[in-house]
Order: sequence, then C-alpha cells, then structure tokens
Amino acid sequence: MTDSGNIIKLRSGDNSCQAFDVESVRKDFPILSETVYNKPLVFMDSGASAQKPTAVINAMDDVYRHYYANVHRGAHYLSQQSTDAFERAREKVATFMNAATADEIVFTKNTTEAINLVADSWGHRFLKAGDEVIVSEMEHHANIVPWQLLEQKIGIKVVVAPISDGGELLMDEFAGLLTDKVKLVAMTGCSNVLGTIPPVKDIIRLAHGKNIRVLIDGSQSIVHQGVDVRDLDCDFYVFTGHKLYGPTGVGVLYGKLDILKTMPPYQGGGDMIETVSFSGTTFKEPPHRFEAGTPAIAEVIGLGAAIDYVKDLGQDRIAAHEQGLLAYATAELEKIKGMRIYGQSSDKAAILSFIVDGLHPFDVAAVLDRQGVAVRVGQHCAEPLMHRLGIEGTVRASMGLYNTTDDVDALVRAIIKAKEMLI
Amino acid sequence: MPALEKYQEFADALDIIDDEDMRFEYIIDIGKRVKDEDFPEHLRVPENIMHGCMSQVWLVNNPKDGKNYFSGFSDAIIVKGLVSMMVQSFSGLTAAELDELTVEHVQKLNLGALTTQRQIGMMAMLEHMKKLGHLGDAGIQTKEKQ
Repeated sequence: MTDSGNIIKLRSGDNSCQAFDVESVRKDFPILSETVYNKPLVFMDSGASAQKPTAVINAMDDVYRHYYANVHRGAHYLSQQSTDAFERAREKVATFMNAATADEIVFTKNTTEAINLVADSWGHRFLKAGDEVIVSEMEHHANIVPWQLLEQKIGIKVVVAPISDGGELLMDEFAGLLTDKVKLVAMTGCSNVLGTIPPVKDIIRLAHGKNIRVLIDGSQSIVHQGVDVRDLDCDFYVFTGHKLYGPTGVGVLYGKLDILKTMPPYQGGGDMIETVSFSGTTFKEPPHRFEAGTPAIAEVIGLGAAIDYVKDLGQDRIAAHEQGLLAYATAELEKIKGMRIYGQSSDKAAILSFIVDGLHPFDVAAVLDRQGVAVRVGQHCAEPLMHRLGIEGTVRASMGLYNTTDDVDALVRAIIKAKEMLI
Repeated sequence: MPALEKYQEFADALDIIDDEDMRFEYIIDIGKRVKDEDFPEHLRVPENIMHGCMSQVWLVNNPKDGKNYFSGFSDAIIVKGLVSMMVQSFSGLTAAELDELTVEHVQKLNLGALTTQRQIGMMAMLEHMKKLGHLGDAGIQTKEKQ
C-alpha cells in the first residue's frame, strides 16, 4: 500500500511504484547480478533469508578490518570502539522498534533462541502446571516447540487458536479461548507460509483485557511492515536479523523492561554477571543479564547497518512496493490453469504459497531452480498448518524490497515451463 | 561383482548428454515412465517408506535365490526417476555385492543437474537398499497393506 493506504497497481515491466526506484535498489545487492545455471538469478526466497546490501557487507567488513575486539571487556582502544558500535546498534534497534529504552533490546542468535529464552526464563518463573499458552494454527515451529517443551517440563497446556480455510485467524474463536487459565498468547505477526497478517493490535488488546501477556513473532512482519512496539503494547516481540537484510547469527528479543527485570537468566556465563563467587553469584540488569558469553559482535553491528538501510529506503515505501508486487503476482499466478494459492487474507505480506494441480511441489521447485528462480518448497517449518490445510507442502515465493515485476514474470514463465516438462 | 549393465547404460546415457538441462529432463523422462501400476497401492504403506526424503519414497525388496530385486516409487516425478534408476541399476545383486557399492557409484552417474541435497538423497537410497538386502538375507519380507 502507499502511505495513504492505497495499493499501487503494477503492470509487467512496471517495476517500480512511485518514489521507489527498485532498479537502483537492486544495485545495492551484489548477489542479484549473479547467474545460476547460466540464467539470471531470480531470488524469491527472502522469507527464508533475505539477501544483504553492500552497506551491511561493508559494515561487517569494517569491523574486522578496523576495530574488531571483544565487547564490554577490554581496557583498550579497539574494545571501546567495538563496544560503542555494538551498543549503538542496540540503540538503532530500539529506535527502529520504538522501544522505550535500549535496555529492552536483548540480542539473541535468532528468533528461535529469543522465543526459547522467553519460554525458559519467563515461562519457568511465571507459569505452572495447568496454565495455558495460546498459539495459532499458522505458527512456525519456532513458536510451537518451545511451548511444547514447557508443556513437557512443567505441565502447561498449549492451546491452538484456529484459522479459516483462507488462512485468517478466527477472532471470535480466539477470543473464546481467553480464559483465566491463559497466561500468554504467542502469535505470529505474519505467517511465513500464508503471508497472513493477523490483527495483532486487537489480539493484544483482547489479551491484555484479561491480564494475559503477549509475545509476537515478528520474523516476517517486521520485514514487510516494521513495528512500533509501544503502539502495539506487546509484552515481547522477537525477530531475526537475516530476514531483515542483515546477517545471520543475530536476533532480537524486545521485552518490556519491567517484565525483563523480573526474569531470571536464561544462560549462565561471562558478560551477564555482576559478581561471581562460590558462595553466590549476582547478575546484571537487562538486557545484559540475558546475553551470556561473547555475542555476535560484527553481526549485531551488521544488523544496525541493515536497519539504517531499511530506514533510509523508508518502510512505508518498501511496503507500498511489496504490496504492488503482491497484487501483480497474485493476478499473474491466478492466470495459470490449476494454480491454487494458499493464504487469501485481505491483510497479507508479499508471500505466495501455491500448488499446481497434478504437480508435486518438489518437482515444480526443481524446475524453477533450473530456470534460475529460487523459491522454497515443503512444509516451511509449519507442519501443523500443512495438516490444517490438508496438504503435504507448497511452493513458496517470498518477495522482498528488491523484487520486480520482471521477477514475477520469470516466476510465471518458469511455472509454465514446469507444467510443460512435468505433465 | 557382476557387470552392472543397467547402471552402465544410465551412466553412459548421462555422460553423452553434455547439457545439464537435458540431463535434468532425462531424469524427468525416466520418472514419467514409471506408472502407478508399477508400484501398486498396497505397497505404499508406512513400513515401506524411506524416511528422511523431502518427498515420499517407498522402496521394497523381493529377494529371490539370495539376490535382491528392488522396486520403488515416489509421489514426485524427479525423485521417481531417481528411484527408478537406482532400483534398475542395483537389482539382482546379493547383499554382500550391494555392500561393495560406494558413493562413487552414485557420483559416476553424473547427476550434476541435481542439487547436492538430491545427490545426498541418492546416497541415502543406496544405504537403504543395502539395509533391505540384509533384511532379505534374514528372510524378512516386504510389508503389504492388509
């Protein structure tokens, strides 16, 4: 959508929406000029992991070439430099999410670790047998299994909020699940399979009305629409750096400071302690309490560079570009006979999961690959969703800020080629 | 080790094709030639599934006179082609002869058109066939749907 909320209609070759020069943006991503199997790379797997702009690559290169040292420890110049850059990245993340303070930003290795941290630390501290955690039917395994582990360890119950056939959260059913037993709602901000963007603000409001905490898995949603955690009023928000055009190995747990302060450490080790003795060890305040051991220094700084990059482009403009692409891609794919697109939500990110009647998704993806079109195939770490939809897997084309209508056209041509080859 | 005639036939055919896209299409064509009736429904039971594959793969052994005769199937055409190549290539061997097959046998098929993951899958398939060969020696029969 545009800033004013209107979807921009893109046509073939009409690669950019107003005020977003995608051809120029693409030059920021060196990998996009690569060829695969002697064909131009068409990268539509950003939902799995996005490509990195030169700004991120250079930022990490700079760390190692000019000022790398361990953080929070050294008494020397380089350590001070790296610590400053590291903590500046925390400030950038806090500003990007509109957190109240950088102390609410905990660096993890990815979303999965961030959710496990909450499950292990907050869960063990505040949950007991019989308490319930609500997740939706469209969660990534990373937002299911940590709660199931807690189910096994302390006897909580994982309750599943259902979705419609079109992939939208059924809000009435969800509201009906919010009983006194429920202590946490752990919900995706955007389905990695369907692209569905649930009404997160309503979900949080309903949950808070019953004194239930809310964790939002923002792995996909922060990429496509950003986040304002204070506006949402979520208690926890987690995301990973590598889907946001940043490096792998760094993720973020946002937690309201008053909640983080009540949580015990997740892991023990260096950097998270105040004093250590055999008669008793004391721990630092958040966020460092939750960052045991040497962190991913260059990666955190690289994430800061990715956030600068995205902010410079403008998240509203990125969202408008992607919504234009989604509308175009949906229309073009629907022209293919036998095409079934999963995820029909009216509020949806640029993620297209599909099956072509009569063709196995793995075969389709293999032919697409040979045409230079990179997509993901399978269950997308969302087996329960596949069971709900009654399918074994899909092909998923997930688009990012650098995709174009030319990419969509290449995808369509490759699917048609797959039909010709496989049927 | 007896001459692996069918295996050599595949290896030669793939060697002659000098275009990777064509090799890819060759595998698809082999997959298309496998018909549903070649691997009847009653054999597609969980016990015959080879686990760890991205698509479903069923593999059975019908040992006779100390030799192993495999058949297999997949719900994906490309994998069906690969399964077909493997079962045709390595049927008629004893369990001991199967054990002599190595990763090199798979590599020599020149399946460069496939992703590394699929090539690893081929090797896993070979290991699975060896296991079935030993089960055959022990007199354990293929499961069928009741």
